[in-house]
Amino acid sequence: MTDNIYLPSIATVKEVRPETPDTSTFVVTFDDPEVSDSFTYRPGQFAELSIFGVGECPIGIASSPTWKDCVEFCVRAVGTVTNAIHDLEAGDKLGVRGPLGNGWPTGEIEGKDLLFIGGGIGLPPLRSLIQYVLDNRERYGEVQIVYGARSPQDLVYKEELKQWEERSDVDLAVTVDVGDETWDGPVGFVPPFLREINPSPKNRVAFTCGPPIMIRLVVEALEEMGYAYADIVTTLEMKMKCGVGKCGRCNIGDKYICRDGPVFTFEELRRIPGALEA
Amino acid sequence: MQRKKISKSDLGRWLDSVAEKYELVGPTKDEEVHLFGPVSSGAEMDLEYSNSLIPPKSLFFPQVEGLFAFHKRGKEIELEEAKPLEKDRVVVGIRNCDVRSLSLLDRVFLDDLEDSYYRERRDRTALIALACPTPPRSSCFCTTFGIDPLSPEGSDILLIDVGDLYLVDVVTERGQELVALGEGLFTTLTEAEEKELQPPPVDMPALDVGELKERLDALWEDGYWDKLSLPCLGCGICTYVCPTCHCFDISDVGSTSAGIRYRCWDSCMYGDFALMASGENARPSRRERMRNRYFHKFSTFPSRYGTGYACVGCARCLVHCPGGVEITEVIKDILGKEGVSDG
Repeated sequence: MTDNIYLPSIATVKEVRPETPDTSTFVVTFDDPEVSDSFTYRPGQFAELSIFGVGECPIGIASSPTWKDCVEFCVRAVGTVTNAIHDLEAGDKLGVRGPLGNGWPTGEIEGKDLLFIGGGIGLPPLRSLIQYVLDNRERYGEVQIVYGARSPQDLVYKEELKQWEERSDVDLAVTVDVGDETWDGPVGFVPPFLREINPSPKNRVAFTCGPPIMIRLVVEALEEMGYAYADIVTTLEMKMKCGVGKCGRCNIGDKYICRDGPVFTFEELRRIPGALEA
Repeated sequence: MQRKKISKSDLGRWLDSVAEKYELVGPTKDEEVHLFGPVSSGAEMDLEYSNSLIPPKSLFFPQVEGLFAFHKRGKEIELEEAKPLEKDRVVVGIRNCDVRSLSLLDRVFLDDLEDSYYRERRDRTALIALACPTPPRSSCFCTTFGIDPLSPEGSDILLIDVGDLYLVDVVTERGQELVALGEGLFTTLTEAEEKELQPPPVDMPALDVGELKERLDALWEDGYWDKLSLPCLGCGICTYVCPTCHCFDISDVGSTSAGIRYRCWDSCMYGDFALMASGENARPSRRERMRNRYFHKFSTFPSRYGTGYACVGCARCLVHCPGGVEITEVIKDILGKEGVSDG
């Protein structure tokens, strides 16, 4: 980052990988090699992506910092800027401002069993940590991933899901709300699916990201399974502009999600008035 | 700190020589209101004023400000940073409530992720404050927040109006440099004058707000916010005239081939302020927005930055609210008592 906190760095789209009908992965590299070298980040941090003339929006970094030379963003076309990002093709330029925010814990969770619970486009922020953990596999215990989407075509990272499925050191379970002719896996919402799997809370930390309603029900389920709030970690989303704790938008209590988050434990959130009113 | 004096008739001459070296900024009368803006001479200013409609935070955090320009050449994109200032500035006539507000805004803009635009404007601007010997408005309540209208704190020079002349408190080295530009116009006070020339005491009621945060924190779920938000039109004037409000929006103007990224003041009182592209809104009704604003002033800002309350008692919001929401009444409601004592 330059000393101007609002000035993006110019990056080039190397590859666009469609994930679902409205979601694609954008693989980008910085044009300036110095920026590229200095762009170090923690899993779970985010960046403000710029389409000049359209605007900026905050997007979680979906790649692992263990991967060199490129950064990945998984973007759903929802608003003005994300739709403009979807118009980009390989070779096109965009602005990247970051990394921003705190990121997932990585040191404190060494030696622990890890449970990832993702819904829909909530998987990409988790995937940043999953890939980091898989690249440092010996430092962590069991890796269990529970993932669900509205339909088989709404699952992101289909290739990676296959790879994780094949790994003996990853336990993957995938469900869809509604199946189709291509789907012979489990059907149903994530929270009851998680209850069926019922992973023990012993020495385990749960990471969850997805639609607010899913997160609420997942946390209820985890609580009933015996997980402490301090061992349930999530990443929050809120309207942001500056990304650096100044523009006043994304506060919950005295925390700015862009500066103090987006990653919080439910123990932290429980203490903030209004934070759990999703 | 040094105390000197200057006659009112000489003040203009001094400011004219300041204007030769610096960009001079002061309050000028614009129809019925006063606004801060650049002036070419001391005479253009009107220092016989209460306070400006728009707080002088706008001189450091402008209402609209270009951040950088972008140009596309082929596939390449060039960015060109905006220059916040051409010349060092001297602001004359700023009131102590607004001086305090800058120290609060400093906490936001000059934290470890420093805002270089705000930084440059702060560093390159000298403040010549103008004491309020009596409350400039009957609605003023700065003393409630521990602000002394006669204090030189936070300014380079403080002017105190004592009739035909100003007492001049020279606070900083930068202040001394400015006074040096008016050679022969400033004189030292005699011992007799030191005693005689005293500003009239400030007569302003102050509320005891020691427990304001604790009391407010207990009201998060209270029905009070429904009642309080009823007369609110959501116009946002309270935030625009507030010297401590710092919310802004960032947007692009131009086309995808060339344009400017700018920021402009925004308001937490607007319905789309926290509205996401997904349709979710963290503060969907005026109840949540009103509550958020008062919590920001009296609970979350102080706890985040370790400061006092983020209100300086300038009374601009209560004077201008078309719905008649008065922050002093809100404070009394929160405190649950009338509690007015003589400050």
